[in-house]
Amino acid sequence: MFLVELFVQGLIQGSVYALIAVGLTLVYGLLRILHVAHAGLFTLGGYAGVLVTNATGSVAVALVFAALSVGAVGMAVYRFCYEPILRRPPYVALIASIGLFIAMEELFRIVFGPFGLTYDIVPLQGSVVIGGMYLRSAELVTMALAAVLIGGLGLLAGRTRIGLAWRATVSVPEMAESFGIDIVKVRYLNFFIGSALAGVAGVMVSVLNNLVEPTMGSVASYKALAIIVLGGLGNVRGTLVAALTLGVIEAYGTIYLAGFLDRDAIAFAVLIVILMVRPQGLFGRSA
Amino acid sequence: MLTLEGLVCGYGPFVAVHGLDLVVPPAGVVALVGANGAGKSSTIMAVAGHVQVLEGTIRLDGEDITRLPARERLRRGIALSPEGRKLFPDLTVAENLEIGGYIHPRARVARSRERVLSLFPRLGERLDQQAGSLSGGEQQMVAIGRALMAEPRLLMIDEVSLGLMPKVIDQIYAAIVGLRADGIAVLLVEQSTRRALAIADEVCVLESGRPVWRGTAAEARGNQTLIDAYLGLREEAPS
Ligand SMILES: Nc1ncnc2c1ncn2[C@@H]1O[C@H](COP(=O)(O)OP(=O)(O)OP(=O)(O)O)[C@@H](O)[C@H]1O
Ligand SMILES: [Mg+2]
Repeated sequence: MFLVELFVQGLIQGSVYALIAVGLTLVYGLLRILHVAHAGLFTLGGYAGVLVTNATGSVAVALVFAALSVGAVGMAVYRFCYEPILRRPPYVALIASIGLFIAMEELFRIVFGPFGLTYDIVPLQGSVVIGGMYLRSAELVTMALAAVLIGGLGLLAGRTRIGLAWRATVSVPEMAESFGIDIVKVRYLNFFIGSALAGVAGVMVSVLNNLVEPTMGSVASYKALAIIVLGGLGNVRGTLVAALTLGVIEAYGTIYLAGFLDRDAIAFAVLIVILMVRPQGLFGRSA
Repeated sequence: MLTLEGLVCGYGPFVAVHGLDLVVPPAGVVALVGANGAGKSSTIMAVAGHVQVLEGTIRLDGEDITRLPARERLRRGIALSPEGRKLFPDLTVAENLEIGGYIHPRARVARSRERVLSLFPRLGERLDQQAGSLSGGEQQMVAIGRALMAEPRLLMIDEVSLGLMPKVIDQIYAAIVGLRADGIAVLLVEQSTRRALAIADEVCVLESGRPVWRGTAAEARGNQTLIDAYLGLREEAPS
């Protein structure tokens, strides 16, 4: 029973990782950029969650607001940070992205203060018993949102015309463009969706912890990088599996490895071990 | 239909084609031949809008399209099956074809897909297979089919027969003959001179970015000096 509970806790954490990492892997797949500032958008979602919920009393409104506003900020990040330097070597975008991430953290500190914000009344605090296991409503909602949103993304990509255009652009951008696909529109869509998912993750993490602080994205940023490498950079399905797997391994690890390995170090221990065996990641194509 | 006047194109400071005049008449088949690096692909890619034109003009039915972006040329009826085919390898055959017709409304796409599948029935059995896992011949059919989905008036095919078995090449050439009968003009690059001379109405031989001979295929076939100098060496590998 205890093992099952840990497994479920792992899936909850994994759902958060998945919501964050999908956007990161989408950006990598499309532009070959490691979008470190993505974690700043996640934090922004957390602030939107607390502020809007405290103002309106509705976490649902906060979720919608966070998705739309963080999605829009994501598009702005593409337009003003990445688009001007797309033709430069990849490390230029990486440095710009790290710089932007640091700037965002400082901006949060200046605007919202260094100590973090909490909910006036923490939403989704009910609990349900499923199979003899207590789950907080917030935990259930986190898993449900991840499943629905990422499932919806799968349908969008697999079943619609814009989804087809998107996949073609990821596959061979020059050919997609030459067949009349507006690849700039595809990039905006890509940043909107990936950032909106991170914004939703930010709200749910702020609810789960009843805290949002300027550095909330620091750990998320490097863990999400580890996850997308494990998932095979740019591979959405692989990223999902890697996110859930990491969540579960961490859940067990916190109990069984507590003596000598910090929870937040597990991601990298797993990364190192797996890359020694499979350098292309769990689901990457071998080169 | 297509007219090149003094085309000079290249890559940054490097000039790949130095002044090429070429006419592809409506429903005509013109073959560009020449050694590796002669500038055949560069010419085709300049017409498609992917290689920088430094001097000269490209006209389509009299309209100057020299400075138009690639997708505008596609809208005007120029479609390309490029060197290396450049399929979307992780998309299915059906999806590759759909992208080919992306500029057209759905109903039209369904119709042109029927036409492509009747031209290459093999593809009908492989619609849900990832394009990257097809055989070379099937990939060539997808590349040509994808270009045809745009309903071009001028189809450009680079490396028609490269790496394919004679039987597959026969099928592809049969398809090209059918396209010509439908009124589509074809500009092709062919490594196998024998094949090029057999199908083309006109042949243009390039060497180091310059046209060195131009004429009808019948003239080329009768010109032993030409064949010995430029056309004799590159035949299909026996299989
Ligand atoms: N992307 C590029 N950048 C710089 N130079 C290029 C590029 N592509 C081709 N070239 C050069 O342009 C010249 C013509 O090349 P092109 O590809 O047009 O030849 P080709 O006739 O198609 O040859 P092949 O039969 O080998 O395909 C060559 O000297 C080649 O090195
Ligand atoms: Mg070539």
